[in-house]
Amino acid sequence: MLSKTLGAYILRILLSSLLTLGTSLGDEKEARRLLVEIVLREGAERAAALEALGDEGDPVIASMVEAWRGGQILRYRTDNATIILFKDGEAFSTLLTGEAVVPATGPKIDRPSRKLRKTLKRIVDLIDLSSPDFDKRIEAALKLGLSQNPQYLPDLKARAKRQEDSNTQRAFDEAVAISELANGSIENRLAAIRTLGSMKSFRARDYIERCISTDGDTKPTDEMVTAAKRAFAEIDSHQKMVDFIGTLFRGLSLGSVLLLVSYGLAITFGQMGVINMAHGEFIAIGGYTTYIVQNKFASAFGEGSSVYGYYFITAIPLAFMVSAIVGAIMEKGLIQFLYKRPLESLLATWGISMVLQQVFRLYFGAANVSVSSPQWLAGSLQVGDVSMSYSRVALIVCVAFVVIGTYLLLSKTSWGLHVRATMQNRQMASSLGVPSGRVNMITFAFGSGLAGLAGAFLSQIGNVGPSMGQTYIVDSFMVVVVGGVGNLLGATLSSLGIGMVDQGLQPILGPVMGKISVLFMIILFLQIKPGGLFPARSRSLDD
Amino acid sequence: MKKYFKTGLAAIAVAAVFASTAFSAEKVKVGVLHSLSGTMAISETSLRDVLLFTFDEINAAGGVMGKMIEPVVVDGASDWPLFAEKAEQLLVKDKVAATFGCWTSVSRKSVLPVYEKHNGLLFYPVQYEGEEMSPNIFYTAEAVGQQAIPAVDFLLNEGMKKFYLIGTDYVYPQTTNLVLFEYLLSKGVSVEDIGGGLRKDNAGKVISAGNYTPFGHSDFQQIVADIKKFSASGDACVINTINGDANVPFFKEFAASGITSEDCPVVSFSLSEDEFRSLPAKDLVGHLGCWTYFMSIDTLANKKFITNFNSWLAKTKVPGIIKKDRVTCSPMVLSYNGVYLWKAAVEKAKSFEPEKVMKALESGISFDGPGGKVTTQKNHHLTKTVYIGETLETGQFAIVETMKDVFGEPFLKGTFKK
Repeated sequence: MLSKTLGAYILRILLSSLLTLGTSLGDEKEARRLLVEIVLREGAERAAALEALGDEGDPVIASMVEAWRGGQILRYRTDNATIILFKDGEAFSTLLTGEAVVPATGPKIDRPSRKLRKTLKRIVDLIDLSSPDFDKRIEAALKLGLSQNPQYLPDLKARAKRQEDSNTQRAFDEAVAISELANGSIENRLAAIRTLGSMKSFRARDYIERCISTDGDTKPTDEMVTAAKRAFAEIDSHQKMVDFIGTLFRGLSLGSVLLLVSYGLAITFGQMGVINMAHGEFIAIGGYTTYIVQNKFASAFGEGSSVYGYYFITAIPLAFMVSAIVGAIMEKGLIQFLYKRPLESLLATWGISMVLQQVFRLYFGAANVSVSSPQWLAGSLQVGDVSMSYSRVALIVCVAFVVIGTYLLLSKTSWGLHVRATMQNRQMASSLGVPSGRVNMITFAFGSGLAGLAGAFLSQIGNVGPSMGQTYIVDSFMVVVVGGVGNLLGATLSSLGIGMVDQGLQPILGPVMGKISVLFMIILFLQIKPGGLFPARSRSLDD
Repeated sequence: MKKYFKTGLAAIAVAAVFASTAFSAEKVKVGVLHSLSGTMAISETSLRDVLLFTFDEINAAGGVMGKMIEPVVVDGASDWPLFAEKAEQLLVKDKVAATFGCWTSVSRKSVLPVYEKHNGLLFYPVQYEGEEMSPNIFYTAEAVGQQAIPAVDFLLNEGMKKFYLIGTDYVYPQTTNLVLFEYLLSKGVSVEDIGGGLRKDNAGKVISAGNYTPFGHSDFQQIVADIKKFSASGDACVINTINGDANVPFFKEFAASGITSEDCPVVSFSLSEDEFRSLPAKDLVGHLGCWTYFMSIDTLANKKFITNFNSWLAKTKVPGIIKKDRVTCSPMVLSYNGVYLWKAAVEKAKSFEPEKVMKALESGISFDGPGGKVTTQKNHHLTKTVYIGETLETGQFAIVETMKDVFGEPFLKGTFKK
């Protein structure tokens, strides 16, 4: 009761300090008022206000609670009251009315405690049960079901009967069944075990186990134990299937990473015969370019703005171009004098790699820099029970483009013809009128550009730092050598193969032994086939 | 770099000479043994900085027993055998009264015999795995019981039922996770609810618990998929002892997989404010950390410490020192505390003799540091306050739990019984 009167008092103060009042009246208004009240309260008093919030079913609560958690709810003191603000990007509005305001002095972020957030989450889940967003509805139903709180069971049951979508239907059935494992009668529990078994629910496995364990309050019947065993068999076989498909995807994704980092090298080393030890640093240039573009976007548009998310799209071609330009300069300034002396190109490029690393340290500091993923690349795609993160999917798609694009460039264009001619016999091509100097430069720049492209994508899944290139240089050479020097198809197959084997072995042997086994297998493979998958005659290896 | 460094040292030494001759000619040499180059430089340079700051602060207040502290800074270069050589140099050639240094456990293990042989005195400031108590080392560091155990207690309190252990493959994570494994079992968590895998020796004794990756591991897809499976039934959390920059791909993969810090919080023991400078804090919001100091501690002592450190940074002429956007973190504060405890012990013992100083430390000396009061114990560790913090998007921690006066016990393996 006290909370209500105090709330009304605060409301009045706020009303007087704010000139106008929103025109819409009703649930949202009441919900906002309650929220303000909760934010303003301390400790135990908050609980009372929370109770009231539970009865209020307005969707605005869910979005505002989410904002509270994310540090978007701020306190701001005026002369006669504390105003609670909602911050969206750079704009502020009052929580009470949703009206835009500009605070004079810096407002302070108000943050709910972990405990309070848990309670709030429950309230949001209850509201989300009827959310028009199916994903939210599914998540809420499962959360409430997994809590096995008997209080939610009737509501879940009632709602399970009127779901129009098959996915939400499934989620509600699953939630009801899991909740019944703890709250239902013996028959209900038996039915729930059977349902969950036929649904192949991973989530339920632990709960079924708990349900049939003998130290619980209800003794399980033999029938339940048999049903549970059958359910486990179903769940486990489904789990194996999901693991298998998941591993295939992860293998493809690791293979794509390897391919992306090594494709540039497959051109500069494989095609041109330059043992390019600075390849890794071209990857780092791509990573740093992405970092710079990100910062420019952040300072120009603000991190919260919608344009900011597109920094990555802008960074991809820029990363390619910057690396390609550095590559072209390096070819003109150094590599072109070393085509006849491959071993010296090794030393020279190694030197350049160290110079570049120090340059990174000098300009960006010795510590790694942080590149955050844009909103649209966050999260993951759910296919059945297999989840694939968007950043990985994007990477795989990009790799497919790179491979096909490179193939078309080399086989269908006249520039490609020149490249192939020059790579086969530089002098002969030159005497036939191919501008071999320019072709060399462009090819080297193209290979370096691909490395930069790899750097841009790697910034989304890993570190960007001065020694970033060192992490990938060994893998790159490994892929190119296993694939067969000078063969792009070989590099494609070897990277996918290494990726698959690595991911396949990891669950069995663990990451450390898995990595060792892969390297050992590569050594064995090269003993049997020293030329790699597709041995090719390459100029640099002939002499 | 080295050359610069030497001139820098010379500059410090000269400055120290000038500064001290003004008041008194007497000086006491103190060693600073950290990696200022190589992979560990990113973390350890901050400790050198804070040590030099502390010495200046003490000297400005009259020194130790009237003597000015003269730092001898040597570079361990992230090279463990070199640490031992440098320690020998500090003890034999420079005859330092005490040394403050080491970060990784392997560097400490490397210098330990040197300190025991020459009867030196080393203050070690970084959280570690325990199972060690040298008569010549004083551990201001967090023992497992002051970091991992309180964190697990906190999570158990939050209603967590399943624990996934993950770490980098070396002595600290392996030992910590073994201790935690025993502790979790003693708390009634069943073996199936401890994730990451177990390795047993032929006799069936568990010799390794958890999932381990090499240093600098970059592909966490399988591990995150495993965690997702593990946490599907709810009430699960991850105990993370991954060290170094491998945390970046781990947290990126974790965030991308759609597991939130509400579903499955990750508590990390190797990530402090200093490390957050190069981590995508956005991906870590809501995950937990556990230390005996956080920069966000709201006390006068802490505010004073941060302000003084920053104004020292602005003035200092140490070459190559980073002056902008500096943060403070637990290892830095434990280094700071170490120097003050040494000063108090010297004053109590009325001697710079390592043996007498150690006796004084063993007798129990208290110091009110930025992270609260710390008290030395007979077993060369500290009683101190443990904090659990939640990561914010700014890279700072919001403190969610404070545990006062936690005793530092290095020998925990085998002490937890069901």
